[in-house]
Amino acid sequence: MSYETSALCCCEYYDRNQERSHILTCCCDCEDLDEAFESLITGNQVSQKHKKGILLTMQNRFRIPWKGGAKQIAFDAILPIVIIPIMLLLASISLWWTFFSFTTVAIFLLFISNFLIRAVHHTKFFFVWTLTSVIVLYLIFEFIVIPFLEILLEENIALSMFIFGFVICLYLMKTRIKSISSIRESEAENGTSGQYYLQCTQCSICQLKIPDRDHHCVWFDCCIGKHNQCLFVLAIFFAIIALLYSSNLTLTSVCHPFTLYKTILLPDDCSEVYKLFELGLSFVAAVYSLIIAALLLVLLFHQILLISLGITLRDWTRLPLTKKLCLGLTMKRPNSRGICQNWKIVMCWTKNNHSISNQM
Amino acid sequence: MLRQFLIILTIVIIFIAVYFPTRHARHYNYIALQNIANELDLRKPIEIDYNLKNCTYHGVVLNNEDINIDSVYVTKTFNKTFIGGEYKPSRCLPLIKTALIVPYRSRPNHLNIFLNYMHSFLQRQNIHYRIFIVDQNDTSPFNRAKMLNFGATEAMKHKYNCLILHDVDLIPINTGNIYGCTKVPRHMSSSLDTFRYNLPYLTLFGGAAAISSEHFKKVHGMSNKFYGWGGEDDDFYRRLVQNDLEPCRFPPEISRYIMLPHEKQKASENRFKLLEESEQNQKTDGISSLSQNYIVKLEDLYTHIIVS
Repeated sequence: MSYETSALCCCEYYDRNQERSHILTCCCDCEDLDEAFESLITGNQVSQKHKKGILLTMQNRFRIPWKGGAKQIAFDAILPIVIIPIMLLLASISLWWTFFSFTTVAIFLLFISNFLIRAVHHTKFFFVWTLTSVIVLYLIFEFIVIPFLEILLEENIALSMFIFGFVICLYLMKTRIKSISSIRESEAENGTSGQYYLQCTQCSICQLKIPDRDHHCVWFDCCIGKHNQCLFVLAIFFAIIALLYSSNLTLTSVCHPFTLYKTILLPDDCSEVYKLFELGLSFVAAVYSLIIAALLLVLLFHQILLISLGITLRDWTRLPLTKKLCLGLTMKRPNSRGICQNWKIVMCWTKNNHSISNQM
Repeated sequence: MLRQFLIILTIVIIFIAVYFPTRHARHYNYIALQNIANELDLRKPIEIDYNLKNCTYHGVVLNNEDINIDSVYVTKTFNKTFIGGEYKPSRCLPLIKTALIVPYRSRPNHLNIFLNYMHSFLQRQNIHYRIFIVDQNDTSPFNRAKMLNFGATEAMKHKYNCLILHDVDLIPINTGNIYGCTKVPRHMSSSLDTFRYNLPYLTLFGGAAAISSEHFKKVHGMSNKFYGWGGEDDDFYRRLVQNDLEPCRFPPEISRYIMLPHEKQKASENRFKLLEESEQNQKTDGISSLSQNYIVKLEDLYTHIIVS
């Protein structure tokens, strides 16, 4: 009994079933793994329950020694911190490695995203991926591209401004949830909650009731509703500008540049970038930025379309293909108030005018 | 309180470290376009032809045009030069006598493009010029500064009072970039395309530079000890500054250059060590310590100096 109540040593922890365990025993004693193995050997299919069990046990046992008991690290949250640098380092070897490593990671992402969203409910994988990308790309720019001495101070400052804009939008987007809950409280006090709650949708991932919910963005780990949609669009906008600008600065530094209409500097010959490690890494980071920027651009246009139409992403996914091809113009849109009003509601959202716009 | 102070202090330090000006390309001071003609080092030639008026250079600078980069590779027509690549304008009396000294080793493609382009480029500027190609004909690493010293010595024998130290892969693309000397030495290639048309650092003196022969003698020429790529131009800059010859530059809109494509060379590893060493023996290391074993051959478009 005295053993049970004594303080944890740095390598000990309480496991899933509230039992005391030690890090070094991490590879022993996993019922799910045993059973999964058994069914594999006997030729049966491994059940979803066992798969999930293995994953959870793995996650639970993946710990680092820490004062006052070993700390748990979410396995899926660590993954991007490992994958992104490795992907960029491998890609900087040669052109074929670039193709290989980018396609591998893209395919891996496609497969793992479905699995992760289902299996690990509150996975931080995608959000950590976003953060790691931003940090790694910024570090490469500041400490590899800038020392080539080809970028002016004001260009560096301008890029930092765009990144700062993105980060601020992201931060506000995530904190506006608090404004929402304060509104809910005040409306509950005033007794107007009935009208308000009608519009709310429960988000299965963040476990919150979000009014006028659009969708849950896993990459920002944040629910998007009417309250933060304008910040969402702004964040994507800043991200696209920052990515395009940084990749242009990088590519014109490491490649041979030419001037278009005597004003815009663009790269034209990048054949020698893989000959030096620094050049290769900068080039690959720029290509990665361009790919993300292209994807974000599609997302931005989609968001603009949805806001103009006054429908949510959920409505859009339910549309048949023929109506999607007509850009959704032919569908019935009960919540739409015309293109100008739709944009006004999204762009001018504040705590005060929120309930007014709902009553209109 | 202390913790907040420390956090703010770290943020400020990081901020300064990231945005420190020397980590970036630089804006530089330059002579305004209107003042360039007054700053030029113009001299009457020794053999004066009294029938001719003096050439003027004001218009050359002010009527600056950008040359289309694609046309650099096109074969051009130009007036026939004297043997040895010398040219004198016949309509007026040139007040600028320039030796274009180009260190060179085994890049025939670049040389062809360079000669073809430069003759047509220089003949528009009303200057008396001659092109010296200094060819390092041995197997040791390329020594740009030594080749320039040989070229300068030979040019000074022919009484050229303005020396332009020029790389074979640099092509000026502004007609207003006058190939003459100013009253102080001048760094010419301050807006190079491979540097995004920016100047990497303020003390850069490589690529193309103009210096009068008196000044070149005053600083004892360049150091002969820099083998491999890099360092010799920084050393030359130091020599100039120590002799109170702070170099000047022209505005970026007339100082644009393109670099002919070639592989980037690896910088020589001992260039920083050499830079430190060469400060002490400036007076002994330079044009005075050159050997005399070189051959001069007169070609149609250039004077070929073969150093072995």
